Amino acid sequence: MTHQTHAYHMVNPSPWPLTGALSALLLTSGMIMWFHYNSMFLLMVGLISMLLTMYQWWRDIIREGTFQGHHTPVVQKGLRYGMVLFILSEVFFFIGFFWAFYHSSLAPTHELGGCWPPTGIHPLNPLEVPLLNTSILLASGVSITWAHHSLMEGNRKQMIQALTITILLGLYFTILQAMEYYESPFTISDGIYGSTFFVATGFHGLHVIIGSTFLIVCLLRQFYFHFTSTHHFGFEAAAWYWHFVDVVWLFLYVSIYWWGS
Amino acid sequence: MYYKFSGFTQKLAGSWASAAYNPQGLKPVASSEAPPIIFATPTKFASETTSYDYAGKNKVPELQKFFQKSDGLPVHLKHGLPDQMLYRTTMALTLGGTIYCLIALYMASQPKNK
Repeated sequence: MTHQTHAYHMVNPSPWPLTGALSALLLTSGMIMWFHYNSMFLLMVGLISMLLTMYQWWRDIIREGTFQGHHTPVVQKGLRYGMVLFILSEVFFFIGFFWAFYHSSLAPTHELGGCWPPTGIHPLNPLEVPLLNTSILLASGVSITWAHHSLMEGNRKQMIQALTITILLGLYFTILQAMEYYESPFTISDGIYGSTFFVATGFHGLHVIIGSTFLIVCLLRQFYFHFTSTHHFGFEAAAWYWHFVDVVWLFLYVSIYWWGS
Repeated sequence: MYYKFSGFTQKLAGSWASAAYNPQGLKPVASSEAPPIIFATPTKFASETTSYDYAGKNKVPELQKFFQKSDGLPVHLKHGLPDQMLYRTTMALTLGGTIYCLIALYMASQPKNK
């Protein structure tokens, strides 16, 4: 290692932005080929190369941060800003779907029968599985805080237990949502109600799956002793993301499931 | 009178004895003691056993030594052959896929029955 007189991280030239960009081309073109010619070949190539890129890029970040010590306090500050801005962009992504929902539901058109839920739509009962899902996500918010405090106090065993509970709650939520989708009396093609409902809750479900994956990676890293009681930004970012997913669900529950029914 | 550092005003503020000793809350979170001095040949104490656990041994110190070697390799190839193979597979797949993709898109833009 050459001597450096500042705390910033001078990154090595990396191939992953290139392979990531080309994989995005392959994914989008692959979808066109799939829709147009019913061939999934290009889509699969794009999917595999994207997964390989993601694995290796994040593996390199763990190497740089945990093994090479490049994540100094000033670098961690940059990572914090980055994660905050990323979550903010995700907030605006969901604001778009809420906008579509309220636009359609606050002044329902004649075609819908002038009412919300539209005529002929039988919405899900918000006091059944959706309420259970709300309590599951709230409980997972508690258990992830328990995991964080255990980590800060150096209590390895409780950190692993609490994080495992959080992940299991996340998986339980996903299973219940899948069952709700399977049994729902309306579909995504049932007009504006089905469209707004399944696009908003579907993207939320995708984010729960992404958040669960992020937490599973954190659990593995905790098993491998990657986190210390004072330096564990990877876990904190996962916790922020998980809380974000939790809050989006609260808005979905109150707006679409409860008020919207 | 006891004092503690206020994170809000960034100044010393008056406080109770307990808060002055444990300003973070219920328990002192970070140790305020200086880390032990490490000499060139580290002294092994009987209490200093490697942390074993139901997940196995803590390999982070070894990995830190391994990934901090100055062998001039970039971080994505530093682990040797496994890294090389993964990197080459990814590159071959994306570059090959891109060429195939461009040909396929060109052919799709030239339909036979106009």
